[in-house]
This record gives sequence, C-alpha cells and structure tokens, in this order.
Amino acid sequence: MALMATLRRTCCLLTSRLCALPLAAARTRSSVSYDLPLTSLSRPPWRETRPVPEEELRRQHAALTSAVNRRIEQADFGRLFAVVHFAGRQWKVTDEDLILVENHVEAACGDRLRLEKVLLVGARDFTLVGRPLLAKELVRVDATVLEKTESWPKVHMVFWKRHRFQRKRIIVQPQTVLRINRIQVAPALT
Amino acid sequence: MTSRGTPSRFLKSVLQNGVGRYVCQLKRISIMFSKKGQTSLGVRDFIEDGVVDYAKKNSGTVVYVSPESCNKPRIVAEYLNGNVREETVAGKTSSQVFEVLTKLTSQSGLDVIRIRKPFHTDNPSIQGLWHPFTNRPLTPRNDDKV
Repeated sequence: MALMATLRRTCCLLTSRLCALPLAAARTRSSVSYDLPLTSLSRPPWRETRPVPEEELRRQHAALTSAVNRRIEQADFGRLFAVVHFAGRQWKVTDEDLILVENHVEAACGDRLRLEKVLLVGARDFTLVGRPLLAKELVRVDATVLEKTESWPKVHMVFWKRHRFQRKRIIVQPQTVLRINRIQVAPALT
Repeated sequence: MTSRGTPSRFLKSVLQNGVGRYVCQLKRISIMFSKKGQTSLGVRDFIEDGVVDYAKKNSGTVVYVSPESCNKPRIVAEYLNGNVREETVAGKTSSQVFEVLTKLTSQSGLDVIRIRKPFHTDNPSIQGLWHPFTNRPLTPRNDDKV
C-alpha cells in the first residue's frame, strides 16, 4: 500500500516535471525570457548516464581485470573476507573468527575442513563476486572444528489460559564451533 | 527459565584455540563408582572394556578411576580454563557412559548458557565501516548567494 502510494507520488512528480518544462518553455517563448531558479527538483536525483560504446566497455573491463590480477599476483592485499554458504546459512567470514552451527558436523574435534561454497571474496581494494559461486581453484577457505557441545536447555512451553492445558518440553540441540583458519586467493593456492 | 532470566555469554574460545594448533580442553576426568551397587553396573562394564582405549586415544587427558561406596556413580570433568562439570551416570549402560565421555571430551570448559550471537570476529570491517558519505561523489554546490 505504501509502495503503491510512493510509486504514484513519484509518477506524479515525474509527469509534473515533464509537463512543467515544456510549459515553462512555452511561457518563456511568449513572454520576456528569464532563467528558472535551480531547485532540488530541477533535474532527477540519479546521475545522467550516456550509453558507452562497446569498445570502451571492453577496454574498461580489460583494464579492471588486469589491475585486479596484478594486485593478486603481488599479494599485497592484506586481510581477506569471504561470504561462505554453510549449514543453510551465509556467513561473512575472515581469518581467525568463530562460527557456531546448530547441528552435528561429521568431523571430530580438531579436524580441518575446507568450506567450498564461496559466494564472494573481498579485500581492501577489490572484491570478487561469484555468479553465484566462485571457482574452487580461485578461493580456499580452511576451518577447524573446535568443539562439539549441546546448547543450553531451552524451554518449549505451551500454555492456554482458562483451558487447563500446558505442555513443557526441554530442547537441547547439538552445536559445533568452527574456527576459520585462513582464506586464500589464487595464485597462492595449491 | 527464559533467556532473559538466565545468564548469557558471547561466543568465544579459550585462549584462541584453533588459530594455531587445536588443543583438547579436557584436563582431568574422574570416574567415581561403587563396586557392588546396581546403578554402577554400566560404569563397571565400561571400566572393564573401554577406559584404557579412551585414555590411550586422549593422551592429553588424565583419567582417574576411584571406586567408593556411593549410590550415584558420577563422572567429574575438569577443563583447562578451570571449570568443573559433573555428570551422573546412574543406570546407564556401557555405551551410554562412553557417549557421555565423548561429549565431555569434545566440549570446551565454557559455560553451557545462552550464547548471544552465533559468530565472533575481531575484525568486523575490512573495507571500512559504511557512513552516509561512502560511495557518494563530492559535487560542488551551485549557490545563488554571492
């Protein structure tokens, strides 16, 4: 409802803007010419973009990819972060940080894992975005299983007042804590 | 009780375990049981079969087995951060006792209370925190005033 209202309002604004300019032009042509004062609604709030020719686009892309490749080869990017899909959720992850997963992972404590579904990798100056995943030869995210515990006993209670109905259940879920050891980008990969 | 009425903590590890080498957090395990009680039957079977293998597998943990006259056999686990956890194993079979032991081994000694966030980072921002002027070009203003 609010969306429809805002859409209608913007449409009205646009049409009014489009109508106002030719009207104003008609008025200026007929009467003494004067400049309309510049207001915040004199032009649209988005930037004016002109269509770029394909050659220019290709050159820009080539320059960008070569710059990023040079940065990766020189390996002077600093700390890397990655968006990793694991246990049905996406986590934004760096080196040395902890993750709690609310289920049982089939690995013993101290085992090293490799998280394979990487959607995005970023450094301070560049980001590599996957569509939807990045290649396994490009990124490597290593993790260690730190502990496998149970959650605190959660109380699941149902109570209906004036119906003499209540049920109480204590839920304890298995939990796994992972530590992300390292994120690597090629060509440092094996 | 609800999560508001009970204590809570943030997710953390003991002394950055896992960054370098992984260290098992269990320091000492003491199994107290009785030689003749019915409830200690499973514990006695476990001590016959599996205790030695367990001790050999977890070489970093010290295992104490102490028979004493008690109604309720129990396992006391002490961790590297000083916390002590006690579990009763009365009426459990040998395999159940082994499961309890593996659970205690894979835990770190931190409290089993509500964990506020399922993640922990020391470096939350790499490309810089967002503020309203990021990704906005600096354009000169056209002022009518002189």
